[in-house]
Amino acid sequence: MKKISLVQIKSNELVKILEILGGSNLESKLLSMGVFKGKPVTKLSHIGLRGPVVIKAGRSILALGHSVAEKIIIERA
Amino acid sequence: MIKKIYLIGNPNVGKSVVFSRLTGVQVISSNYPGSTVEIAKGYLRLDNEKVEVVDLPGTYSLDPTSKAEEVAVSLLKEFPKEEIAVINIVDSTNLERNLLLTLQLIGEGFPVVVCMNMCDDAGHRGVHINIAKLEELLRAPVISTCALTGVGIKLLTERIKEAASVPGDKLTHQERWLEIGKIIEEVQHLEHRHHTFREIMEDASVRPVTGLIMAGVIIYAAFKFVRFIGEGIINHITDPVFINIYQPILEKLSSYWQEKGFWFHLLIGDLINGKIDFKQSLGVLTTAPYIEFGMVLPYAVSFYFILSLLEDIGYLPRLAVLLDNLLHRLGLHGYAVIPVLLGFGCNVPGILSTRVLESKRERFIASTIISIGVPCIPLQAMIFGLLGKFGGFYVGGVYLVLFSLVIILGVILNRSLSGYSPEFLLEIPPYRFPPLLMLWKKLYFRIKGFLVEAMPVVLLGVCFINILLYFKLFDFVTSIFAPIVQGLFGLPKEAVVALAIGFLRKDVAVGMLMPLGLSANQLFIGATLLAISFPCVASFVVLAKELGLKGVIKSTLIMIGISIIVGTLLHFAILR
Repeated sequence: MKKISLVQIKSNELVKILEILGGSNLESKLLSMGVFKGKPVTKLSHIGLRGPVVIKAGRSILALGHSVAEKIIIERA
Repeated sequence: MIKKIYLIGNPNVGKSVVFSRLTGVQVISSNYPGSTVEIAKGYLRLDNEKVEVVDLPGTYSLDPTSKAEEVAVSLLKEFPKEEIAVINIVDSTNLERNLLLTLQLIGEGFPVVVCMNMCDDAGHRGVHINIAKLEELLRAPVISTCALTGVGIKLLTERIKEAASVPGDKLTHQERWLEIGKIIEEVQHLEHRHHTFREIMEDASVRPVTGLIMAGVIIYAAFKFVRFIGEGIINHITDPVFINIYQPILEKLSSYWQEKGFWFHLLIGDLINGKIDFKQSLGVLTTAPYIEFGMVLPYAVSFYFILSLLEDIGYLPRLAVLLDNLLHRLGLHGYAVIPVLLGFGCNVPGILSTRVLESKRERFIASTIISIGVPCIPLQAMIFGLLGKFGGFYVGGVYLVLFSLVIILGVILNRSLSGYSPEFLLEIPPYRFPPLLMLWKKLYFRIKGFLVEAMPVVLLGVCFINILLYFKLFDFVTSIFAPIVQGLFGLPKEAVVALAIGFLRKDVAVGMLMPLGLSANQLFIGATLLAISFPCVASFVVLAKELGLKGVIKSTLIMIGISIIVGTLLHFAILR
């Protein structure tokens, strides 16, 4: 199965996080902000030209740099 | 026996506001993560004992992932757990995310009191929390507060002593999140609501098209407002006071002066057409107070009013999202807009707040860009005052030159410095509308800080300049640098003094250009050079502290190089 990251889906899609690539540092940082494996998140927007991706996780709204968003692999609910 | 109280919590939950309430010590708080870069300390009276209260920088967990978090965690472990109390401040509108830290604190055996802050906001958003149930599940006192209005603070101080260590556990984060899910299920009840107008605006401001339109409108409006309020204060308050009240007093005073010698020169300065001219006389009693109170202060008030408003509403992180793209090309990320915007007020807090950026490389780029391309409000006010009468074209021109410089310099620094820019990861706060009283307090606090810092330097500076001018001690310096200033920049040789004074204070320096009778183009070059050349001594000290000796030398050489290049280019482009 091909892996889909947060940058590849459309805005307003509700997805579930499958995997976080890019090392334990990023993973633990995201974990402490409430973004972890199995967490449902909604993509809110994506600023073009490799800009950040904005997601809603629980009641928090988070902006992730493009390179961070690329490392978050998701599955469609 | 509690010896020390720590305030800890996620970024942007209102720690600093609670801190101010508890201790009476005023600290700057804003609606974005990371407004506390320095650790504030104060005292609270507890059973007639003075106990120190420490406001820690925001942290998401006890295993630190950034510099600010590291500081918070290491301070927490300075004293044995029996001697401290930890007030864990929690954002009631987002209990779920905040609980990780709470559970970690309790799990590690810290004596914790949980302060559910922003309870009124939670109510507005349809979030209801069963406090009694939460207290039972957490095994720690839970107090509902609204620090902005002061609700619950008294109860909080009363219950601090109930904080006690409970048997801990060692769960992994993953396990904790499961536990949090269960707790939330039991204590939190969400009212189902339709999207409110506020939420629609929150969403629109981070979407590409609507976001950029909003950003454009907000920045334009902010700029217009700053000028509108600033000019309003000058035309209706400060100028009438100076001209109708202060000037006649000074005229009278100077007419008693028989012999116009050293003291006259020092205090009143030169008479222009037999009269005192606040802009040109250059005396300690004339031009010095006029520059500070009549030209700069009105704009400082209007700028900080607008900045504080945008900060407290929570707009700035959204701007960070929109500008992340552009700032990435400069080796920074979106969050760098915060130090840059603060720098527009005064470069000192701007450079200090580059601490929110993670790497040394980013901090170097941001500080250098701020000291070169971001004019502080005293300088901007003088530019409005001086160039404004020649038309918006000149004022806009200065900003255009500075903006292009920032972009070019940023791109070059990004390409030439080793290392890479860390990733952008930022929580976007909801919009909040703080009570006006808080806004006034913050404005008062900032303006007071500005005056306390600026006034002595301005008065002593003008005094110092006048003494040097009177004894013609500048002539030597002037003659050395005259070839550069005249030949390369196309300015009269007296402008050397003004440029040199720029190191002391930018507003006084522009003031020194006023009596020289420069043409609009020359003023334009002079003002631009003052903006980019050297930071004033206050920002220089901070720069040295933040970047270290090597960093500051590097940064300084870049500044001198750029000033010479830009001055020459502008001279040959517009004067010839």
